[in-house]
Amino acid sequence: MNSAAQNLLRFVNEELLAGSERRAGVDTPLFEDGWIDSLKILHLIAFVEIESGRRIPDEMIVMDRFRTVGEIARNFLETWLQ
Amino acid sequence: MDADLRVLPEGLARLTGAAAALLWALDDKFRSAALLTGAQERCFPTIISEDVLERSGYFQAFPGCASQLSAPSGGRKYFLSPAVCYHCYDMLKERTLPNNIIFTCCGKCFRNDKCDDTHLWDFTMREIVFVGTREFVERQRLRWMDVVASFARDLDLDACLVPANDPFFGPEARGRKLLQQIKQLKFELSVPLPSPGDMPIASFNLHERFFSDRFHVSLAGDRPAYTGCVAFGLERWSMALLARHGAPAALELVEEHDDLR
Repeated sequence: MNSAAQNLLRFVNEELLAGSERRAGVDTPLFEDGWIDSLKILHLIAFVEIESGRRIPDEMIVMDRFRTVGEIARNFLETWLQ
Repeated sequence: MDADLRVLPEGLARLTGAAAALLWALDDKFRSAALLTGAQERCFPTIISEDVLERSGYFQAFPGCASQLSAPSGGRKYFLSPAVCYHCYDMLKERTLPNNIIFTCCGKCFRNDKCDDTHLWDFTMREIVFVGTREFVERQRLRWMDVVASFARDLDLDACLVPANDPFFGPEARGRKLLQQIKQLKFELSVPLPSPGDMPIASFNLHERFFSDRFHVSLAGDRPAYTGCVAFGLERWSMALLARHGAPAALELVEEHDDLR
């Protein structure tokens, strides 16, 4: 796991899931079973935008790109989607 | 009397002649299709209590959109129902269901958001409601998307299925919209209009555990219940068909169509 994914995973587990017994892995589906609610998704997007230095248009926030920490890191932190 | 669908001021629709027959012929198709898949029919009041809407999260999601009534006895507050399916969740509250189940219901619905020729304040909605395991509810929604899109094609409507979002309000509105978008919880079947744009005629919705958690509905074996629904806006279906074919031809097409399966 590269550093971008590691940072994102740390943020998810230590910030978004703080107070929960759940812990996500790099391939854990984030949007099943209520892991991420409507407030947490905004924090998640803000974190990715700060880390990448770019704003993510709403239309790019789809399951194919946001399913797991690994996919978010690949799509928005390691390379920017064209 | 001429066949006509006329939208009056304040978003009220008046249907006459074959246009009125068309609306009920459409409902007959959707109702029969639901019953053929084993749906249980339910009839609900046109009005709904404040506590059911509160428990459904309606006021938070759609502030100012519900039309309030004065109850003759005073006391509890009531509203005109904004959707039929809320009654279903209230009917099931605190219950443990032995199996997956489907309901169908039809009623007048009222949404006091923006009223124009296609956004009616008072309209008729047929709904099919699924309650059960996640897999069951997701499978039902997919199946109905397929069946209804095929029906629209048969009726020569230029309809397409598109992912959609509810118009959320409040501080978490963007978050709720994005969650709905990511999870593809809502699809709409839309028909093109010259103006002001596409008009949704049906929606296909997954609620995950939102309603079952709020109304304490579960499945036997200590399993969580999931819900979903399909909703048909009958005036909008009628408008689309009247514009495409005219009343007599549209009515004939619908009446002669095979049962939806």
